[in-house]
Amino acid sequence: MLLAYRNLSQDKTRLAISVIGIALALMLILLLNGFLTGLNRQVTSYLSNSPGSLVVAQKGIRNMLGATSLLPQGVVADSLAIEGVEKVVPILSQFVILDLHDKKQPAYLIGYDPDSGGGPWQLAAGRKPQTDSEIVFDEVLAKRHNLQTTDIFKLMGESYTIVGLSKGTSSWMTSFIFVRKTAIEKLLRIPQTASFLLVVPNNGANLEELSARLDAITGINAVTKTEMAANDISLFSKVFSVPLRLMVAISFLIGTMVVGLVIYTATVERQKEYGVLKAIGASNGTLYRVVIFQALIAALVGSVAGVSFALGLAKLIMVIRPQFLIVLNLSDVAWTLVTGIIMALAAGFFPARVVARLAPATVFRK
Amino acid sequence: MIMLSVHNLFQNKIRLSISIGGVALALSLIFSLNAIFAGVEERITAYINNSGADIFIAQSGVQNMHMASSSMPETVEDEVKTIPGVEFVTPINYVPNMVVVGDERNLAYIIGLPPDAKLGGPWKIFKGSRHPKSGEAIIDRFVAEKTGISIGDEVEIFGRQFVVAGLSEETASLVNSFAFISRSDFSTVRGGANTINFLLVKARPEENPEKLAKTIESQLGNVTARTTAAFSSLEQKVVKDMSTDVINLMNLIGFLIGLAVTALTIYTATLSRRSEYGVMKALGARNSYLYSTVITQALISVAIGFVVGAIFTWLVSIIIQGLGLNLTMNITALSLIKVGSLALLIGCISAVLPIRQISKLDPAMIFRGR
Repeated sequence: MLLAYRNLSQDKTRLAISVIGIALALMLILLLNGFLTGLNRQVTSYLSNSPGSLVVAQKGIRNMLGATSLLPQGVVADSLAIEGVEKVVPILSQFVILDLHDKKQPAYLIGYDPDSGGGPWQLAAGRKPQTDSEIVFDEVLAKRHNLQTTDIFKLMGESYTIVGLSKGTSSWMTSFIFVRKTAIEKLLRIPQTASFLLVVPNNGANLEELSARLDAITGINAVTKTEMAANDISLFSKVFSVPLRLMVAISFLIGTMVVGLVIYTATVERQKEYGVLKAIGASNGTLYRVVIFQALIAALVGSVAGVSFALGLAKLIMVIRPQFLIVLNLSDVAWTLVTGIIMALAAGFFPARVVARLAPATVFRK
Repeated sequence: MIMLSVHNLFQNKIRLSISIGGVALALSLIFSLNAIFAGVEERITAYINNSGADIFIAQSGVQNMHMASSSMPETVEDEVKTIPGVEFVTPINYVPNMVVVGDERNLAYIIGLPPDAKLGGPWKIFKGSRHPKSGEAIIDRFVAEKTGISIGDEVEIFGRQFVVAGLSEETASLVNSFAFISRSDFSTVRGGANTINFLLVKARPEENPEKLAKTIESQLGNVTARTTAAFSSLEQKVVKDMSTDVINLMNLIGFLIGLAVTALTIYTATLSRRSEYGVMKALGARNSYLYSTVITQALISVAIGFVVGAIFTWLVSIIIQGLGLNLTMNITALSLIKVGSLALLIGCISAVLPIRQISKLDPAMIFRGR
């Protein structure tokens, strides 16, 4: 094992470049996964922080951010009459594209009744909207575009005064912005309607049974918030999973090639020494172990460096671009280390073949 | 010099293959991401570009279709019809919803069309009708095949059953598809609201669409009118603006990985030829000549890596299409130029370390047998 270490560390520059190469490839894998985890958390932030345990949507709709739901008239009263329902919070929501400093920014506009709830759960500045011409903006989005409270903001031809800045409502894909429900009804020309009802059950009410009772109302279905959040995550995963898997696969191949290149060069350079070892009786198994151990050392050092790079870069990205949330889970870190080991084993294949084919006699002929 | 560089590089073919593979993969990281977003841009504008309209009219302040909402009173249709230069108009309703078949839920943009709509309908029909009647729907062929649906079967849209009357093509992306129903059904299931979401306009052949769009905006006052080309480019801008930061970050990481791999290759190739470089120095070769040799080596390896990376990405895009994933990857000329420039930069920077090695090389060492 000492031989493997000495072989590898003989040229420190080469070792350093290779460790950086492996680290960058693994860092990319870790960052991509962290990015997706962060995005999932961001897209479900409204459901995680709004009141209620069940969501009533238009029949056939079981997610919040994918499809546009419009509930039939009278559903609020019908839902309130159902046994086990303590409170219903109607909201009217719609994706909108904001034009901010010549940039297009999608946002999820939520119209809510301040007396019932369903609005911003934490304000960084200002207050909640009191009139139909007031809006609460996401804090990060506002900061990126130099918007402050009291600024006038134009949306779909209507002017709104920013009266508050909300916290925890930011996302790269969909920042949340809030107006009164009556304001969005006017904006979308759909008076006295709601997209969703957030249902607060009575204490001790069985969610499954309550959901079944709500389902009996014509034109709607009730979904638990957990299921709705999972459906939203699944929708966004569908968008990102194929490109993400492609990137991860390419990164894995790159990492493997870097380890392979280093170990191959180190082995070819020491070919003569391996021949001598063979000539004095070292078995192929011993030499394989030396080669594989070299690959493992390079991959492990690269993996540890990759994890450190990822942690550092994730922090840096979130400071420079606060709309991105990168969540690095312990399980992802563990998987990255395992990936490093798999890379090492795959990369050791070629150099091991070189050693296996080596005829001990060659050292005496040279 | 070029011969020497080629000889040095090709002397060990396994090492060369591994290093070219590494560079190619690093560059294909950049290629793939750019191609994916270019593909999304193309797909996102498919409906607009194939609508047949010259002008799109939306609610004032609305300049997009996807992830946007537009709502106008039905009277807008009659007002636009009276404007000189307008040949005909088609009002459409539009909202993202679901096409549900059993437990299978497919996100879809639902378009409500008037009877015999001249604009905005499905542009390529695989089978069946092009014009949905009341109670009928035209869904995407891919969605139908995935869910085992054919003409005459029923699907659920807005929580109501519709009979599939036609199957359209080129109307699906990785995430969603388009489905077409009649405007009357759309109004019924959406609460009977008498609104239109977008108005599609065909200009008279002699009319300039750009000028006509401006006239419509100024005469109606409370709408946004854009030519189809402008509307389409604004739609692409949403994808561009959303993806710029992600693409830049991935490009940087891809660039650094490519740099590390190329630097490693050129460094090891130079190191293994160290004594030969010493001999050349001893024979009077100038440092600048040796530097050029190393830079040429680096450039040759990134050039091969660039070509292999582009071919690899192209093959991936074909495989993905073959797998029926509905993910379009477009390798654009702009992305070739961008990645090519990055590759050139990688080649030059990666030669720095070997150049330092050569500059420190003492010709006398070869006589000392080192």
